[in-house]
Amino acid sequence: MNLLNLLNLLNLLNLLNLLNLPVVYSVPMRRIFLLSALVSGAVTVGFAQTAALKVEPLWPKPFPVAKHWILGSVTGVTVDAQDHIWVVHRGVDSLQNNEKGPTLEPWASQCCFSAPQILEFDPAGTLVASWDVGANKGYDWPHDPSGIAVDKAGNVYVGGGLAPSALPAGRGRGPAPEGAAAAAPARGARGGDAPAAGRGDAAAAQGRGRGAAPAPPPPPATAVLKFDKTGKFVSAISGVERPLAVAVDDAANELYVGDDGHGRIAVFDTATGAQKREWKANGDAFKTIACVKVGKDGMVYVCDRGNNRIQVFSKDGKFQKEAKVAADTKGDGSVWDLAWSPDRKTLYVADGHNKKVWTLDAASLQTTGSIGQGGRYPGEFYGVSAVAVDSKGNLYTGETYEGKRVQKFVKR
Amino acid sequence: MMKRNLWIGSTFVALMLALGAGQLLLEKKADAQAGGKVQVPRFEVDPTFPKPLPNHWYQGMSIGVGVDANDHIWIVHRPDTVNALEAAEDAKTGECCAKAPPILEFDQQGNLLRHWGGSDGDGYQWPSSNHGITIDHKGNVWIGGNGGGDGLVLKFTQDGKFLNMFGKKGVPIDSNSTEHFGMVAKIFVDAKENEAYIADGYGNKRVAVIDADTGKFKRYWGAYGNKPDDTNMGRYNPDAPPIQQFRTPVHCAEMSKDRLVYVCDRVNDRIQVFTPEGKFVKEAWVSKRTLGDGSTWDIAFSNDPQQKYIYLVDGHDEKIWILDRQSLEILTSFGDGGKMPGQFYAVHSIATDSKGNIYTTETYDGRRLQRFLLKGMQTVTKGEDQGTVWPRSSTR
Repeated sequence: MNLLNLLNLLNLLNLLNLLNLPVVYSVPMRRIFLLSALVSGAVTVGFAQTAALKVEPLWPKPFPVAKHWILGSVTGVTVDAQDHIWVVHRGVDSLQNNEKGPTLEPWASQCCFSAPQILEFDPAGTLVASWDVGANKGYDWPHDPSGIAVDKAGNVYVGGGLAPSALPAGRGRGPAPEGAAAAAPARGARGGDAPAAGRGDAAAAQGRGRGAAPAPPPPPATAVLKFDKTGKFVSAISGVERPLAVAVDDAANELYVGDDGHGRIAVFDTATGAQKREWKANGDAFKTIACVKVGKDGMVYVCDRGNNRIQVFSKDGKFQKEAKVAADTKGDGSVWDLAWSPDRKTLYVADGHNKKVWTLDAASLQTTGSIGQGGRYPGEFYGVSAVAVDSKGNLYTGETYEGKRVQKFVKR
Repeated sequence: MMKRNLWIGSTFVALMLALGAGQLLLEKKADAQAGGKVQVPRFEVDPTFPKPLPNHWYQGMSIGVGVDANDHIWIVHRPDTVNALEAAEDAKTGECCAKAPPILEFDQQGNLLRHWGGSDGDGYQWPSSNHGITIDHKGNVWIGGNGGGDGLVLKFTQDGKFLNMFGKKGVPIDSNSTEHFGMVAKIFVDAKENEAYIADGYGNKRVAVIDADTGKFKRYWGAYGNKPDDTNMGRYNPDAPPIQQFRTPVHCAEMSKDRLVYVCDRVNDRIQVFTPEGKFVKEAWVSKRTLGDGSTWDIAFSNDPQQKYIYLVDGHDEKIWILDRQSLEILTSFGDGGKMPGQFYAVHSIATDSKGNIYTTETYDGRRLQRFLLKGMQTVTKGEDQGTVWPRSSTR
């Protein structure tokens, strides 16, 4: 990279800063100099590409008003071969009482019903399909669906998440407890005339433990569910526990599963559901397998969330390399999901704890910059758990916990 | 009871006389239009407002908004509700974020200007739970507080210099106290008489009026102008006869230009209207079957000279209702539940600027300030639910 290019890049950055555009870089300027001095041009290309993304705040389009649908905690986003965006979310179980008034007994307010838990949008943000998946439909729908993948035939695979007992309370990741509906009348009383608690509004929203004993936690998911392109249930691919992440290798007709309960990556035949091979982490055991992705480089990338690392394997499970992202992150960890730019030069990493999408040089896995910051406004994140990229390079994100959104970042 | 009914009846007669024949005609016309078409202000959300906060600052439950004479927007939020994940930088588990100071001022472009507050100072105590913000005719900033024992209101300059504390902290609920308040939700300051109307509150069940400079108690009243009573009235039942007291919280008390005081009796799903002396004038219900937190969270008036419309935020049904201010009839509503621009979770507070634009803040896990731009008038079917109001160019 020559000096002129560097100056141009810095000018661009300054211009962006002056305009106070919603794309935010967390890499300090001195680190940009450092990067420029130390690494190849590929890094800078990756970084410049980041600069070309900005949030489209009016995407997707609102649901039909009469439906009063809202999203629960979003735990999976993927893009299919038609550049349609598929979303899975945790539905009514992830909604606070005040988000699901019409579902309470007695009826409490107009807002809202959970949107169907599998949704398909076109690139313009129009809802194309919504599958009313759930309990009592002839298959074992997971309490916390997690991860979504679509194969070349349009079949959709959905994993299943953590048992709610493992989830922190009060973050809305599910702990709208089973007893939430039963707790509603007690809350009504509080909202009526009982003296307000120390934090009136807060206590009202959560409805924690007011009168209703928490129900026993539902069991963790033990299968990946496969649906055909019309939403008809096809099969349950079992032998797994908490399959948090799924990916399809269309060339081989294979399904990759992040089998978190067994701390392994398991590979299945997509047609028969038979397990073909498996492997565990290199070195320290996986600590929450938040994603598994098959790259066009023929390698399998694993988001080892709690260890703040990406591990890369061949398709037969031979360890290739690893890289840390935001290595000092504690709590939930930094590596939640990943996706490549169409030119394969940039790797985007969703980081729900630091509330940004990191950009990495896809070859070296070195961090080059980031998109977004924490917050509830467009272009900001809370618990960004999923990232996907379409053929044009537009980026899509999903947010869990109380984020409960999907967002689109378009090229400038 | 009979005496009260007589009194209510005579009030009604007096009101009708006061409104005059013209108004009666208007109301007849409105009746004739029931289910028909009505003219209402049209709004579009401004998804670019405000700009991202600096310093990795994160906004908590946002429980008050006000607009000053320069059309700057002031909000109050609760930094202590920013959880450990959101404030991972403070908790030293990650890079983002840090709790923003509770009082934030924005200009019309959405830039953050002044920011302050959150701790006790010389001569005053900060509330244990922030609630409500108002900029008075002198430019001073008032806040209430709804934490346990918060029996005070505070007044500051716009730079955050302490001016007054009226009431005190650590006091019990007593709707007939003339010394302190009971978890104040909101304040309105009447420039003409230099009096502050206190929506009092989450503990007390009354409107209290004090001198805005000295804090001297002048008068207070409960629902229908009754003497307030702290007896627990049980849960709200939309099918029961209306109770003769406010329920907590008494969430707003706003005066119109024609000097009527509109009170948000939130959990009772009603607005009650009074003279400045506390004489009951009229009432209306909004989404009367709403339970739990109730429907009537806060109001603002349209900025035409007659203040023809009431904008009412409903943080349980997640929308803004537009009411005819005279008849208190619902004309339309907009907004819906969700996290996208123009959608709400627990929309809590509302204010308008000199151009007639609306600002809202959301509590619970909404945690945003939003702006809705006034785009002239439109014709809608009376009662129409407009849903999410995005800029028209984006949805066509």
